[in-house]
Amino acid sequence: MNYATITETDMEALRAIVGEENASFSIEERLCYAYDATNRDYMPDGVLFPATAAEISEVFKLANARPFPVIARGAGSGFTGGSVPVDGGVVLSTERMNRIIEIDTENMTALVEPGVVNGDLQTAVEAEGLFYPPDPSSLKFSTIGGNIAECAGGPRAVKYGVTRDYVLGLEVVLPTGEIIQTGVKTMKGVVGYDLTRLIVGSEGTLGVVTRATLKLVALPETVKTMLAVFPSLYAAASSVNDILLSSPLPSTLEIIDGACIRAIRDFSGGKALPEAEALLLIEVDGTDETVLSGTETVRRICVEGGATEVRIAAGKREARELWQARRAISPSLKKIKPDKLNEDVVVPRSNIPALIEGIQDIAKERGVIIASFGHAGDGNIHVNIMIDSSDPDEDKRGQEAVRDVFELTLKLGGTISGEHGVGTAKAPYLGMELSADVIALMRRVKESFDPNGILNPGKIFCSAPIEG
Amino acid sequence: MKKLEEYRDDLERCVKCGTCKTGCPSYTVAQREWASARGRVSLIKAHLDGDVDFSEKYLRQIKECTLCGACSSACPNEVPVPSIIMAARAEQVEAEGLPTGAAFVMKRILDSKRLGPLALKAASKLQGIVFKDAGGMEAMEQSGLVSRFQIPYMPIGCKDRLVPGLAKTFFMDTRLVKNLKKEHGKGARSGVKVAFFAGCAINYLLPRIGEASLKLLNEAGAVVIVPSAQVCCGMPALSLGDTDTAKSLALKNLEAFEAVEADFITTSCATCTRALKDGFMAALTDDPSLTERVLSFSAKVRDITELLANEFNIIPRLKGADSKTVTYHDPCHLGRGEGGIRDEPRELIEKSGHAFREMKHPCGCCGLGGGVSFTNYDLSMEIMRSKAENIKDTGADILATACPGCMIQIKDGLNRFEVKADVKHVVELF
Repeated sequence: MNYATITETDMEALRAIVGEENASFSIEERLCYAYDATNRDYMPDGVLFPATAAEISEVFKLANARPFPVIARGAGSGFTGGSVPVDGGVVLSTERMNRIIEIDTENMTALVEPGVVNGDLQTAVEAEGLFYPPDPSSLKFSTIGGNIAECAGGPRAVKYGVTRDYVLGLEVVLPTGEIIQTGVKTMKGVVGYDLTRLIVGSEGTLGVVTRATLKLVALPETVKTMLAVFPSLYAAASSVNDILLSSPLPSTLEIIDGACIRAIRDFSGGKALPEAEALLLIEVDGTDETVLSGTETVRRICVEGGATEVRIAAGKREARELWQARRAISPSLKKIKPDKLNEDVVVPRSNIPALIEGIQDIAKERGVIIASFGHAGDGNIHVNIMIDSSDPDEDKRGQEAVRDVFELTLKLGGTISGEHGVGTAKAPYLGMELSADVIALMRRVKESFDPNGILNPGKIFCSAPIEG
Repeated sequence: MKKLEEYRDDLERCVKCGTCKTGCPSYTVAQREWASARGRVSLIKAHLDGDVDFSEKYLRQIKECTLCGACSSACPNEVPVPSIIMAARAEQVEAEGLPTGAAFVMKRILDSKRLGPLALKAASKLQGIVFKDAGGMEAMEQSGLVSRFQIPYMPIGCKDRLVPGLAKTFFMDTRLVKNLKKEHGKGARSGVKVAFFAGCAINYLLPRIGEASLKLLNEAGAVVIVPSAQVCCGMPALSLGDTDTAKSLALKNLEAFEAVEADFITTSCATCTRALKDGFMAALTDDPSLTERVLSFSAKVRDITELLANEFNIIPRLKGADSKTVTYHDPCHLGRGEGGIRDEPRELIEKSGHAFREMKHPCGCCGLGGGVSFTNYDLSMEIMRSKAENIKDTGADILATACPGCMIQIKDGLNRFEVKADVKHVVELF
């Protein structure tokens, strides 16, 4: 795709749309919107801070006429390059669109703008006795808009599901400029195609969400956090199923392997996590009574499964420390090697032990360190292949390991991404999972939304795919 | 002091995960990526690579950081952002020099022979011409002053900005300190020798904090010494990027305190605590012959709350009819990160005979630090706004903290946002 260069005239027009102070073309500003958490930089030609759907619609009209790329960006905390401008163009930051418009306690819904930070929404609804369950590790800084675009999950998904399960309706600006409403404000609705579900997880390639009606649930009375220490990763993985068969259903069930534990212990001075080959971080929520019995059941199952120690967080503070340690895993892996190939594969739950065993074999065979952790409860494991990419041989072995992991995952009936999305990072592997017919259909969907290919180009679909 | 260039490895450790955006006061207000640590790291890297020069935007972003350290204490890769920002400022000062006004203050006032040069004494007498008393009944240093008009080139003289007046008698000249010299050690029970570091804010603006500190130390049974050759801690110079002045001050303080051979060195200013514990090292590391002396100096430094809570036994006051509700603000220079002093001041408040009530985000920056209240007063007050709301929500009668800098800022902020609470240092609660 050939795009037009952004000219002085374009800049003037864009300034006129969003306002002088909300459009920036300086190198300093552009540098700060060139990256996301993949830590790869692509310079945009400009950064805009629109405040309304109407402004975004005007930007699209200009972008189509020229054409130049437009990329929506929330907090820039994605792991697959969903918000980086690989082909230049203008970045649309949602930082100014950060209002919680309404919390409807009666119907248990919230109406928000895309720039609202997930954690801020959680705090606001919890003050009303309500609960917004999706909790990506980045919840303190990632935005609802970004969460919707990537269909973010999180530890609570095992009991509560992912972002998709909490989006009732959307206001979306289509790349052709129309402002549409999708979905409903009600708990049910089957009129026409489910465009809401199509937009959720579309990685900012089909439209820009400018408002979202979110479903809320009742805030659980009590949450108990516990940590079980296992002598092997396999033993921990094997206990997961037994725990899930027990009642009440735990709200989170996280697994952490030895390499991650060591990186975290390094970072936190060894305080938060004990030394072990594998840990399960478990939360049980519900009423005081069910939590009490649930905690005891889980403890018993862990011990029967070989756990050498089961720690139950005494208070909120201890629970918070455990979670902080868990959330720091991903960024602190840099202690092991400078670069990581960060994959978030999912397998049917019963295949978790097989996946974990297989990953350890791949690590040995390819001679790389693989640190695994993640949401054992829903089969979603974060596989981090740690390499020094400046070493060409290690880089090659790392890439081969990625392919091996994907092959293994698919063989076990899984999918290559549970919650991070495809973006640029996984685009070459799309064909390993999806058939040519499915990819062709998806491309036709993309073309019907965005005939000029201006919205977030270079994502999901790739010009140089690896054949499956 | 480590040069900006030497921070390359630290800059490379940033993986752009975005964790630093949480709790960053300048990002929270600006909602622009360059106001976050991750953005600043990117810009500084680009600057080192020669892609960005000392442009207005570049300088603005390195100057509008409060150096609060919320980012670095949250960073999973331990990128020392405040130190990097200070090095970036130093690099610019080295290349382009200090602005004239700042240079005058640094060289002529802060780096004078001792605390309290004649120029400031004269200013103390003349301040009524420019400022008017904001409180009316109380003494000037109690209620603060507001500028009668906008003073050109003087950010401290923003109209309606509440600033404490210069004390009529500077702390180092008070009778308490003068008499101490004569009778030092008399009646002290513990035999523990404590050297008190006053710092500029307490000496010139809020001597009552120094006096309350000495009273408590005396009560605790310490032998208190106030070395007369002490000077400014050097933090204002360091945060401005004026490494030369910081070094000169550090040396003078080192000599002044070595001479008295105390068991502990203490101060009632969180910023001075930080400067004496860490800043010294940063400013003097160029000279390896001083390392050992600096280390043994730093090892003796305790914040007053830390010293009183951990080394002495303060008798708890009984709660009575005149007990008030107190909330506490954690100064960034005291409470941050691993080893932060957070429990000790709260422990003292519990002992003071008042009721304690925690506020939301007690560790949130007040907005004063890093020179932001001078470079961008409006931003500094926007940062202060949420602090004022959180204080208001507690309904506390008194906001206590352990830093005169924070006190000045919070007093101004509470006045601006119309929150009724007294502002006191923890040592003043007794």
